[in-house]
This record gives sequence, structure tokens and C-alpha cells, in this order.
Amino acid sequence: MNFKVLQILYVLPLLLTPGAAVAQEETSASTLYGDLSFVDQDMLSRAAGDGNNFLHTNGNYEQTRYYPSRQINTDNVKNLRPAWIFQTEIVDTMETSPIVVNGVMYVTTAFNHVYALNARTGEQIWHHKHDMGPITTYCCGPNNRGVAVSGGKVFMGTLDAKLVALDAKTGKQVWETQIADPELGYSETMAPSVVNGMVLIGTNGGEYGIRGFVKAFDTETGELKWTFHTIPEDSVGVWATEDATGRNMHRDIEAEKAALEEMGDPYETLGGGVWQNPAVDLETDRIYFVVGNPSPDLDGSLRPGDNLYTDSLVSVDLNTGEYICHFQYVAHDVWDLDAVSPPIITTVKDDAGNDVKGILHGGKTGHVYVNRADDCSMIRFSEAMVPQEGMWTLPTADGARMLPGANGGVEWSPMAIDPNLGLTYAINLHQPMTYTVASTPYPEGKLWLGGSFDVIPEEEQWGNVTAVDYNTGKIRWKVRTEQPMIGGILATAGGLVFTGEGNGLFKAYDSETGGELWRFQAGAGVNAPPSSYTVDGRQFIVVAAGGNAQLNYKRGNNIIAFTLAD
Amino acid sequence: MKRASLVITALVLAAPVSAEEFALEDAVAVCSGCHGEDGIPADAEFPIIWGQEFFYIYTQLKDYAAGRRESEIMTPIASEYSRDQMKDIAQHFADRAWPGIEARAEDGDEKLAERGITGGQCSACHGKWEGDSRIPRLAGQQPGYLRKTMLDFKNEVRMNAPDKISTMKQLSDETIEALSRYLASL
Repeated sequence: MNFKVLQILYVLPLLLTPGAAVAQEETSASTLYGDLSFVDQDMLSRAAGDGNNFLHTNGNYEQTRYYPSRQINTDNVKNLRPAWIFQTEIVDTMETSPIVVNGVMYVTTAFNHVYALNARTGEQIWHHKHDMGPITTYCCGPNNRGVAVSGGKVFMGTLDAKLVALDAKTGKQVWETQIADPELGYSETMAPSVVNGMVLIGTNGGEYGIRGFVKAFDTETGELKWTFHTIPEDSVGVWATEDATGRNMHRDIEAEKAALEEMGDPYETLGGGVWQNPAVDLETDRIYFVVGNPSPDLDGSLRPGDNLYTDSLVSVDLNTGEYICHFQYVAHDVWDLDAVSPPIITTVKDDAGNDVKGILHGGKTGHVYVNRADDCSMIRFSEAMVPQEGMWTLPTADGARMLPGANGGVEWSPMAIDPNLGLTYAINLHQPMTYTVASTPYPEGKLWLGGSFDVIPEEEQWGNVTAVDYNTGKIRWKVRTEQPMIGGILATAGGLVFTGEGNGLFKAYDSETGGELWRFQAGAGVNAPPSSYTVDGRQFIVVAAGGNAQLNYKRGNNIIAFTLAD
Repeated sequence: MKRASLVITALVLAAPVSAEEFALEDAVAVCSGCHGEDGIPADAEFPIIWGQEFFYIYTQLKDYAAGRRESEIMTPIASEYSRDQMKDIAQHFADRAWPGIEARAEDGDEKLAERGITGGQCSACHGKWEGDSRIPRLAGQQPGYLRKTMLDFKNEVRMNAPDKISTMKQLSDETIEALSRYLASL
């Protein structure tokens, strides 16, 4: 057997029924539930109400990470036990969001391995290892955050900047396309998104002087359909002196204007990666995504102007990729406190108390931002979820301390919401750092930070799980964790939120109060977003425990599915 | 002086190489003079290149040739090869098995090294220290080379990965010593 499954005893009686045994023997490329691996657009569109599957990286097109089943709930979560553990071949950082389609689960690992598993038993169906090219350029860790599914295909972005389509039944490659040049710093770690026959994907590379983009490819052929450059040829903007919260960023506008005059617009190497999924609004055929930091991260002297659309929420037309609106949280960022955590579409109260379609984003600054979906303008921002000190102190040659550190606040970790409670849940880091600037010219594909952000080892680090009322911006509850948090969170209709920690703990909290209701020690860092699904009438919670390269949390190779003990 | 004789050897051996004249085994022989016939380098400050990442070796050869990384030994050698010849050389050594060396960490090294790793967020790029493509393998590398490299970054001697300079300036020499022994022992 080429798979390793630790089958937990109380699932065994289900497996040992005669029907189950026969089905296992007769189908090699599917599960007990047949080969219903075909995912149509209707399934994808209705995912928010689908209590059986988990079809999108963040649960649904709105990216709420709110799972509608309440079988596992506040009353019985204490009985949650591991149902199975699957061990992948790669013992390294894991950020995959398990995708579940009719009893088949798809997970990925570092270095672009993909596994299809029987979601009820953890048994391997197939394993695909990407044929990696010799040149990869990536920060921060050989990560992959999972697949997208559509039709009979599974889609994955790769470290060597390719998009590959696999046959969902066999794992065999159907097509691949080169998205960008890895030698220049482009790589793929995000899970793609699929909608209306298109695969949407952005790019990493904000630490290498790329020019960011979001691209759409044909699901059948891999042909490029449109490209939106996240950095326009005129990236200057309005010379904003304050961030979205009204704090002065101490820009030397006159010096920037002189530099612009001398060197021209820096758009070709200005960064602006998009490495988390867009939210998709099928009512208006628009997508919303956040754009990452400018390059070089800490040295603003080489990139005069607001550096549009870095550190911004951006909306474009789903069918054409044409710009619609944007909102920049931090202009001319020199702290890498950019916009990464994927945006969420939900109904919010505007300042007059009216219900409007809103966009939530958890910032590295430690604020949750609430913006209008129609014109991208900001309605409010939340109380700070982590300590902020000295914002905005400019980086210096000797290193200047400022909080939050460059990892946030909220890093890439997706938030979740409970729309009934009007709460969004974010996991945060508190990691004091110094910001050092050292100007160097564009190094053609090498790391280009323009200095360094260094953790201050003498200072205490920690994390928290925070619930924010997105209709008021007030923090409802906050639970401190031993270590800075990275990975993601899931909310369920059972009144629960699930999230993991670098020390191996995976916990369930009461989504209304923040009370801890359950915990499990996974043995390696749980730094990936959890998913949930239901098979044979039994709800599961599943999460990867593989640790994290960026924060150096203990590596592992486990996919762990939990269900209620009988 | 061994180093002086190596410089002379390098200069003598590194005559211009045309595409027709290039023979991989000749180039490998030049490299092996310092980096070892069996992959064990001749000097504690020379790096192991057997089993090192292809793209890292190729990039360093390019940087030596262009003067972005300065070395009185390596610059004259690398500057005689075309990019395709550099790739052939890099691939040859990348395909070799990484040789084991005797290296031990001292008491307290791991704790000090971990502190430096946390401060510099080294694992964000270097992961599990095994290397990948552009990122060099550090685990099991010669401690003397690791020490010299980190100090060269800190003292702005090595300039072809400029962001390392700021990071290394945050580390004490004592931490760099500990890191060198710790990484070599992995």
C-alpha cells in the first residue's frame, strides 16, 4: 500500500458493513459515494448553503468560511475525536484548505504534491507530484494553499509559476500553462478560484520586484482570457499623507516628487502580488481582491508615489478584468504592513444604519476594514486587535521599533464570519520588530526587501483569536494564544469557530463568547485553514498539521479529520 | 601559502574557453582543486558544492563573473565561461551526492542559533536548511564557510545578496559562530 492511514477505531464499524467493503473493492478512482467528482457551476455558486461539500478554499464565493451544518455544536463538541489521519509524503509547511466534493477530498503539500482522499476514511485515491522546474523563487516557504475544482478537473498553481489542470478521477495532468517567469521572482502558492469557465489566479513576488497581476485562464484549455495588472502604468496616486485610519505616515512628498521627476514611474518592478483568493460577486459579475506590498518592501526612495494599487482592496469586472474601483489602506508602505488576508463579501450596516453589501478585510495593521462593495469606499475600521506603537515610525539605517511587526496583525490567514451574530473572526500575531532600511538597486529576481525587518528576541511574542462586530467595529471578544497565530479560521452554524496554533493545538471556541470548548494536540503546528464537510450523515472537521516555515513552527505531514464519537 | 598557490592555479587554469574547446571534465577538474575530488573541500572556508542547488551554483557563477560577488579566486575562473557552460558545471555538481562532514555544535549553540534564526526570520526563506533552487543548502555545510559568509555579509564584503547585510548586522559575532556550528551539524 502506498498510503499511510491511521484508522481510528470508531469509524471501523461503518467500514466493515458488507456494502461498504464491496464498494471499496469495486471502485479504485472514487469513494463509497461513487464518482460524483463532477462539479458544475451551480454547485460552486450554491456552496454557501451546501452542508455536504467544501468546494472553495474559503468555503464559498463570498469567502465567509461559515459552514452551514450544526451537527457538531457547542453542546457536543467536547466529544470531537480524530476519525482518521492521513500522512503525506512531504514533511514541511502546510497551508492547504482541504476541498471536499461528494466524499472525495483534495489536499496539497509543500512543493506541489496533490492527494485525493476518501473523505470518510482517509484512504488515498491518487497522488500527483508536480514535475517542478529547476528554477523557483519564492518567499516565505515552499507553500501551497490548495486546489480549485470544476467540471472533472482539479487546478493548482505551482512554485515554478505554472497553472496545472489535473483529471479529478485519476490525478493525471490534463494541461499546464506557464503563468510568469520564475527567474524574475514570480511563483504561485495560492489556491486558484474557478468561476464561469475561468480559473482566476494572482502571483507571489512582492519581495522580488515583480509587477503583480490577476489572470483568468480557460478551464478547458488553459488559454489566457484576461490580465489585470495590479500596478498601473501611472502608479502615483494622490500623494496621500495619511493611512485609512487617519494617521500621518510621515512621507516626504517633495522628495518623492523630485525622485519621480528623476527616475520616472517605478511600475515595472513595483511588486503588488495577489496571493490569496478573490471574493466573487455573481450578482454584479465583479471580483474583489487585496493587493500586497510594494517592492522593495522597506525602501520607499526607489518608488515615489502612492504605489497604486499596492496595499489596496481592488474590484475588477469578472468577465473582462477591467478596473472598477479600489481603496488603498496604506499608501507608499515602507513597513510591509500590506493587504493579504482574503476579503469577505457580506451585508453590513453603513453609517446611517442601512444594510449595504460590504467587503471585510483583516489587515496586517491589526484593524478589520469594512468597505462598500459598490465603490470600494471605507465605512469603518475596527478597534486594533493587537498593540500598535509608534505608527508610523519610518524605518532607519539602524532599525526603528514599531508595532505591529511586519507579519501583522492579520497575516495571510483568512478570516471567517458568523452572519447571524454579525461577527468576523481573525487570528493575529504580536511580534515586535525593528524596521531597517538599506537602499539597493533592483537585483533581477533576488530577494529585494530594501533592508530587513527583524524580530526583537528580548520581547515577548504572542497571538490572539479576535471576534469583531463588523457593524460597529468593536471587539466582541479576544482570546490570547501562546504564540503568534498564522493559518486561518472556520466558523460553523453549530456556534463554533475552529483554529490551530504553532504549538500543535487545534481548538474550538464558542463563536459568541470566545470560551474554549475543545482542544486537540496535533503534534505539529496547525497553521492551515480548517474545512468542514458531511459524508454519510456525519459531519467532519478537517485540518492540516504541517507547521509553518515563515514562523519556524514544528513541521509535520498530517491531514486530520475529526468527527463526533458515537 | 596554500591560498596564494590556489589563486595562481586558478589564474593559470582559467584561460578563455571557447564553445568548441569547453570540456566539462576540464572545468570540473579546476573546481575540484579547491572543492575536493570527493566533494570535501580543501580548505575550511571553501564551500561544499557537491549536491548544492543547481540554480544557486549557476547564479553564483554568474555573479562572480559579473563582479557582483567578488573573489580573487572565483572571479577569474567564472568569467571565462559562457552562461550555458556555467549551467553545465552547475548541473554536474548539483547531481553529485552531498558529502558528509564531521561537524559538531557546542553546548549552548542551538539555543543561541534558534534565537538568531527567530530574529532574522531565516526559516522564511531557508526553510529546513536543505535548499531549493535559488536557496542554497546550509545543513551540513562547512562551518568555516558558513561563518565567513555570514561575517562577509555583516561586514559588507559580500554584496550579491544585499538584504542579507541588514539581517546579519542584527546578529552578534557570537551568534554567527553558534549558527555556523549548528547549521553545519544538521
